[in-house]
Amino acid sequence: MKWVTWEQVGVDRMACAWLITKNIDPDAEFLFVPVGHQPLPEGAEPFDIPGVRLSHHRGHCTFYTIVREYDLKDTVLHRIARIVDEADVVQEVPVEPAAPGLDLICRGIRLTSPDDQTALARGKLIYDALYAQLASEPIQV
Amino acid sequence: MERMQTPSWVLLVYKIPREPTAGRAYVWRKMKRLGALLLHDSVWVLPSTPWTREQFQWLAVEIIELGGEAFLWESHLLLNGQDEALVQQFLSRVDTAYQEILAEMEQEHADLVALSRKYQQVQTQDYFQSALGKHVRDRLLATRGGFES
Repeated sequence: MKWVTWEQVGVDRMACAWLITKNIDPDAEFLFVPVGHQPLPEGAEPFDIPGVRLSHHRGHCTFYTIVREYDLKDTVLHRIARIVDEADVVQEVPVEPAAPGLDLICRGIRLTSPDDQTALARGKLIYDALYAQLASEPIQV
Repeated sequence: MERMQTPSWVLLVYKIPREPTAGRAYVWRKMKRLGALLLHDSVWVLPSTPWTREQFQWLAVEIIELGGEAFLWESHLLLNGQDEALVQQFLSRVDTAYQEILAEMEQEHADLVALSRKYQQVQTQDYFQSALGKHVRDRLLATRGGFES
Protein backbone atom coordinates (compact mmCIF):
# COMPACT_ATOMS: atom_id res chain seq x y z
CA MET A 1 0.00 0.00 0.00
CA LYS A 2 0.95 3.65 -0.30
CA TRP A 3 2.12 5.87 2.52
CA VAL A 4 2.56 9.61 2.29
CA THR A 5 4.50 12.16 4.30
CA TRP A 6 6.06 15.61 3.91
CA GLU A 7 9.34 16.09 2.08
CA GLN A 8 12.66 16.47 3.90
CA VAL A 9 12.52 13.39 6.11
CA GLY A 10 14.37 13.35 9.40
CA VAL A 11 14.99 11.08 12.35
CA ASP A 12 11.34 10.26 13.07
CA ARG A 13 10.22 9.57 9.49
CA MET A 14 13.26 7.49 8.62
CA ALA A 15 12.40 5.40 11.68
CA CYS A 16 8.72 5.22 10.68
CA ALA A 17 9.43 4.08 7.14
CA TRP A 18 11.84 1.45 8.42
CA LEU A 19 9.22 0.23 10.90
CA ILE A 20 6.38 0.20 8.37
CA THR A 21 8.39 -1.85 5.87
CA LYS A 22 9.73 -4.20 8.52
CA ASN A 23 6.62 -4.83 10.64
CA ILE A 24 3.48 -3.59 8.91
CA ASP A 25 3.67 -3.50 5.13
CA PRO A 26 6.66 -5.17 3.44
CA ASP A 27 5.61 -3.75 0.07
CA ALA A 28 5.14 -0.22 1.35
CA GLU A 29 5.55 2.53 -1.23
CA PHE A 30 6.39 5.98 0.09
CA LEU A 31 5.21 9.24 -1.46
CA PHE A 32 6.36 12.73 -0.52
CA VAL A 33 4.52 16.02 -0.73
CA PRO A 34 5.85 19.52 0.01
CA VAL A 35 5.46 20.74 3.60
CA GLY A 36 1.89 21.88 4.23
CA HIS A 37 0.68 20.64 0.81
CA GLN A 38 -3.08 20.02 0.53
CA PRO A 39 -4.91 17.88 -0.33
CA LEU A 40 -2.98 14.73 0.41
CA PRO A 41 -3.03 12.08 -2.34
CA GLU A 42 -6.01 9.78 -2.05
CA GLY A 43 -5.55 6.16 -1.12
CA ALA A 44 -2.28 6.76 0.71
CA GLU A 45 -1.96 6.53 4.49
CA PRO A 46 -0.47 9.80 5.77
CA PHE A 47 2.09 9.78 8.57
CA ASP A 48 4.03 12.37 10.56
CA ILE A 49 1.82 15.17 9.25
CA PRO A 50 0.17 17.32 11.93
CA GLY A 51 -3.39 16.28 12.67
CA VAL A 52 -3.40 12.80 11.08
CA ARG A 53 -3.86 9.51 12.94
CA LEU A 54 -0.24 8.43 12.60
CA SER A 55 1.45 11.56 13.89
CA HIS A 56 2.64 13.12 17.11
CA HIS A 57 0.20 12.50 19.93
CA ARG A 58 0.33 13.29 23.61
CA GLY A 59 3.92 14.45 23.47
CA HIS A 60 5.17 11.38 21.59
CA CYS A 61 6.72 11.13 18.14
CA THR A 62 5.08 9.41 15.18
CA PHE A 63 7.23 6.30 15.51
CA TYR A 64 5.88 5.85 19.03
CA THR A 65 2.32 6.38 17.77
CA ILE A 66 2.73 3.72 15.07
CA VAL A 67 4.15 1.20 17.56
CA ARG A 68 1.11 1.85 19.76
CA GLU A 69 -1.53 1.97 17.01
CA TYR A 70 -0.36 -1.34 15.54
CA ASP A 71 0.07 -2.84 18.99
CA LEU A 72 3.63 -3.99 18.32
CA LYS A 73 4.95 -5.95 21.30
CA ASP A 74 8.67 -6.07 20.49
CA THR A 75 10.40 -4.37 23.42
CA VAL A 76 13.35 -3.38 21.23
CA LEU A 77 10.91 -1.27 19.23
CA HIS A 78 9.64 0.29 22.46
CA ARG A 79 13.17 1.26 23.34
CA ILE A 80 13.73 2.73 19.86
CA ALA A 81 10.45 4.64 20.29
CA ARG A 82 11.85 6.27 23.40
CA ILE A 83 15.09 7.15 21.66
CA VAL A 84 13.27 8.64 18.65
CA ASP A 85 11.00 10.58 21.03
CA GLU A 86 14.05 12.25 22.50
CA ALA A 87 15.79 12.68 19.17
CA ASP A 88 12.86 14.31 17.41
CA VAL A 89 11.46 16.71 19.99
CA VAL A 90 13.09 18.26 23.06
CA GLN A 91 12.07 16.39 26.18
CA GLU A 92 12.23 17.86 29.64
CA VAL A 93 14.17 14.99 31.16
CA PRO A 94 16.27 13.09 28.63
CA VAL A 95 17.47 9.57 29.52
CA GLU A 96 18.75 8.35 26.14
CA PRO A 97 22.25 9.63 25.36
CA ALA A 98 22.05 8.16 21.85
CA ALA A 99 19.14 10.43 20.89
CA PRO A 100 20.89 13.70 19.93
CA GLY A 101 23.50 11.77 17.93
CA LEU A 102 20.85 9.82 16.08
CA ASP A 103 19.11 13.07 15.17
CA LEU A 104 22.35 14.54 13.80
CA ILE A 105 23.13 11.46 11.75
CA CYS A 106 19.65 11.34 10.23
CA ARG A 107 19.78 15.03 9.36
CA GLY A 108 23.14 14.41 7.74
CA ILE A 109 21.73 11.49 5.77
CA ARG A 110 19.07 13.75 4.31
CA LEU A 111 21.72 16.38 3.47
CA THR A 112 23.84 13.86 1.60
CA SER A 113 20.93 12.12 -0.15
CA PRO A 114 19.70 13.33 -3.54
CA ASP A 115 16.05 12.79 -2.56
CA ASP A 116 13.79 11.55 0.24
CA GLN A 117 13.47 8.07 -1.24
CA THR A 118 17.23 7.60 -1.04
CA ALA A 119 17.31 9.09 2.46
CA LEU A 120 14.79 6.47 3.64
CA ALA A 121 16.83 3.68 2.07
CA ARG A 122 19.96 4.91 3.83
CA GLY A 123 18.09 5.45 7.08
CA LYS A 124 17.13 1.78 6.99
CA LEU A 125 20.78 0.86 7.43
CA ILE A 126 20.98 3.02 10.56
CA TYR A 127 17.84 1.58 12.12
CA ASP A 128 18.74 -2.01 11.25
CA ALA A 129 22.02 -1.37 13.03
CA LEU A 130 20.39 0.31 16.02
CA TYR A 131 17.88 -2.52 16.29
CA ALA A 132 20.56 -5.22 16.11
CA GLN A 133 22.69 -3.57 18.76
CA LEU A 134 19.80 -2.92 21.15
CA ALA A 135 18.50 -6.45 20.64
CA SER A 136 21.86 -7.77 21.79
CA GLU A 137 21.65 -5.82 25.08
CA PRO A 138 19.43 -6.28 28.12
CA ILE A 139 16.57 -3.96 27.18
CA GLN A 140 15.36 -1.27 29.52
CA VAL A 141 12.28 0.45 28.20
CA MET B 1 22.26 27.15 13.67
CA GLU B 2 21.98 28.98 10.38
CA ARG B 3 22.51 32.72 10.47
CA MET B 4 21.05 34.86 7.74
CA GLN B 5 21.40 38.45 6.63
CA THR B 6 17.82 39.24 7.58
CA PRO B 7 16.88 36.79 10.26
CA SER B 8 13.41 35.31 10.31
CA TRP B 9 11.68 34.43 13.51
CA VAL B 10 9.05 31.89 14.39
CA LEU B 11 6.28 33.09 16.65
CA LEU B 12 3.91 30.94 18.62
CA VAL B 13 0.85 32.42 20.25
CA TYR B 14 -1.35 30.11 22.23
CA LYS B 15 -4.18 29.88 24.67
CA ILE B 16 -4.71 26.85 26.84
CA PRO B 17 -7.45 26.04 29.34
CA ARG B 18 -6.60 27.13 32.90
CA GLU B 19 -7.49 23.66 34.16
CA PRO B 20 -5.92 21.20 34.42
CA THR B 21 -2.85 23.21 35.39
CA ALA B 22 -0.59 20.30 34.40
CA GLY B 23 -1.16 21.08 30.70
CA ARG B 24 -0.24 24.74 31.10
CA ALA B 25 2.85 23.89 33.11
CA TYR B 26 3.87 21.26 30.57
CA VAL B 27 3.78 23.74 27.68
CA TRP B 28 5.57 26.37 29.74
CA ARG B 29 8.39 23.97 30.60
CA LYS B 30 8.72 22.95 26.95
CA MET B 31 9.10 26.61 26.01
CA LYS B 32 11.81 27.01 28.63
CA ARG B 33 13.54 23.87 27.40
CA LEU B 34 13.55 25.23 23.85
CA GLY B 35 14.94 28.53 25.10
CA ALA B 36 12.08 30.49 23.54
CA LEU B 37 11.66 34.13 24.60
CA LEU B 38 8.33 35.35 25.84
CA LEU B 39 7.62 38.84 24.54
CA HIS B 40 5.16 41.03 26.41
CA ASP B 41 3.64 38.03 28.13
CA SER B 42 1.99 36.97 24.89
CA VAL B 43 4.23 35.90 22.02
CA TRP B 44 6.87 33.18 22.18
CA VAL B 45 9.73 33.67 19.75
CA LEU B 46 12.64 31.63 18.42
CA PRO B 47 15.01 32.27 15.53
CA SER B 48 13.61 30.45 12.51
CA THR B 49 15.49 27.34 11.41
CA PRO B 50 14.12 24.07 10.05
CA TRP B 51 14.65 22.63 13.54
CA THR B 52 12.89 25.39 15.50
CA ARG B 53 10.01 25.43 13.03
CA GLU B 54 9.52 21.73 13.53
CA GLN B 55 9.76 21.98 17.32
CA PHE B 56 7.14 24.75 17.41
CA GLN B 57 4.95 22.90 14.92
CA TRP B 58 4.75 19.84 17.16
CA LEU B 59 4.32 21.93 20.27
CA ALA B 60 1.39 23.68 18.60
CA VAL B 61 -0.13 20.26 17.88
CA GLU B 62 0.28 19.30 21.54
CA ILE B 63 -1.36 22.53 22.69
CA ILE B 64 -4.36 21.82 20.47
CA GLU B 65 -4.52 18.25 21.80
CA LEU B 66 -4.54 19.72 25.31
CA GLY B 67 -7.69 21.61 24.41
CA GLY B 68 -6.01 24.89 23.55
CA GLU B 69 -5.54 27.06 20.49
CA ALA B 70 -2.24 27.83 18.84
CA PHE B 71 -1.09 30.02 15.97
CA LEU B 72 2.34 29.66 14.45
CA TRP B 73 3.94 32.30 12.25
CA GLU B 74 7.20 32.93 10.52
CA SER B 75 8.01 36.61 10.38
CA HIS B 76 10.50 39.40 9.79
CA LEU B 77 11.00 42.44 11.96
CA LEU B 78 10.42 45.69 10.10
CA LEU B 79 11.99 48.26 12.40
CA ASN B 80 15.68 49.01 12.30
CA GLY B 81 17.78 47.51 15.05
CA GLN B 82 15.14 45.22 16.45
CA ASP B 83 16.77 42.06 15.10
CA GLU B 84 19.96 42.95 16.95
CA ALA B 85 18.03 43.72 20.11
CA LEU B 86 16.30 40.36 19.98
CA VAL B 87 19.56 38.52 19.29
CA GLN B 88 21.04 40.30 22.32
CA GLN B 89 18.15 39.10 24.46
CA PHE B 90 18.75 35.52 23.40
CA LEU B 91 22.47 35.88 24.03
CA SER B 92 22.13 37.54 27.39
CA ARG B 93 19.91 34.74 28.59
CA VAL B 94 22.32 31.97 27.71
CA ASP B 95 25.20 34.09 29.01
CA THR B 96 23.53 34.30 32.41
CA ALA B 97 23.33 30.52 32.48
CA TYR B 98 26.95 30.19 31.32
CA GLN B 99 28.04 32.62 34.08
CA GLU B 100 26.35 30.43 36.65
CA ILE B 101 28.23 27.41 35.35
CA LEU B 102 31.54 29.29 35.52
CA ALA B 103 30.77 30.44 39.07
CA GLU B 104 29.94 26.88 40.12
CA MET B 105 33.15 25.59 38.57
CA GLU B 106 35.08 27.85 40.94
CA GLN B 107 33.60 26.08 43.95
CA GLU B 108 35.64 23.48 45.71
CA HIS B 109 34.46 19.94 44.82
CA ALA B 110 32.37 21.26 41.95
CA ASP B 111 30.25 18.52 40.39
CA LEU B 112 31.77 18.66 36.92
CA VAL B 113 29.55 15.93 35.52
CA ALA B 114 26.42 17.84 36.50
CA LEU B 115 27.93 21.07 35.19
CA SER B 116 28.83 19.56 31.84
CA ARG B 117 25.28 18.30 31.54
CA LYS B 118 24.01 21.78 32.33
CA TYR B 119 26.39 23.18 29.73
CA GLN B 120 25.05 20.79 27.09
CA GLN B 121 21.53 21.83 27.93
CA VAL B 122 22.29 25.55 27.70
CA GLN B 123 24.20 24.91 24.49
CA THR B 124 21.06 23.62 22.75
CA GLN B 125 19.46 27.00 23.47
CA ASP B 126 22.50 29.00 22.36
CA TYR B 127 21.07 29.96 18.98
CA PHE B 128 23.63 32.71 18.31
CA GLN B 129 26.89 31.06 19.38
CA SER B 130 27.79 32.99 22.51
CA ALA B 131 31.52 33.59 23.00
CA LEU B 132 31.05 32.82 26.68
CA GLY B 133 29.70 29.40 25.73
CA LYS B 134 32.95 28.66 23.93
CA HIS B 135 34.83 29.75 27.05
CA VAL B 136 32.77 27.41 29.27
CA ARG B 137 33.42 24.57 26.85
CA ASP B 138 37.18 25.22 26.94
CA ARG B 139 37.15 25.34 30.74
CA LEU B 140 35.24 22.07 30.96
CA LEU B 141 37.61 20.39 28.54
CA ALA B 142 40.58 21.68 30.55
CA THR B 143 39.30 19.93 33.70
CA ARG B 144 39.70 16.53 32.09
CA GLY B 145 43.34 16.35 33.10
CA GLY B 146 45.34 13.20 32.52
CA PHE B 147 47.79 13.52 29.69
CA GLU B 148 49.82 16.65 29.04
CA SER B 149 48.96 17.80 25.55
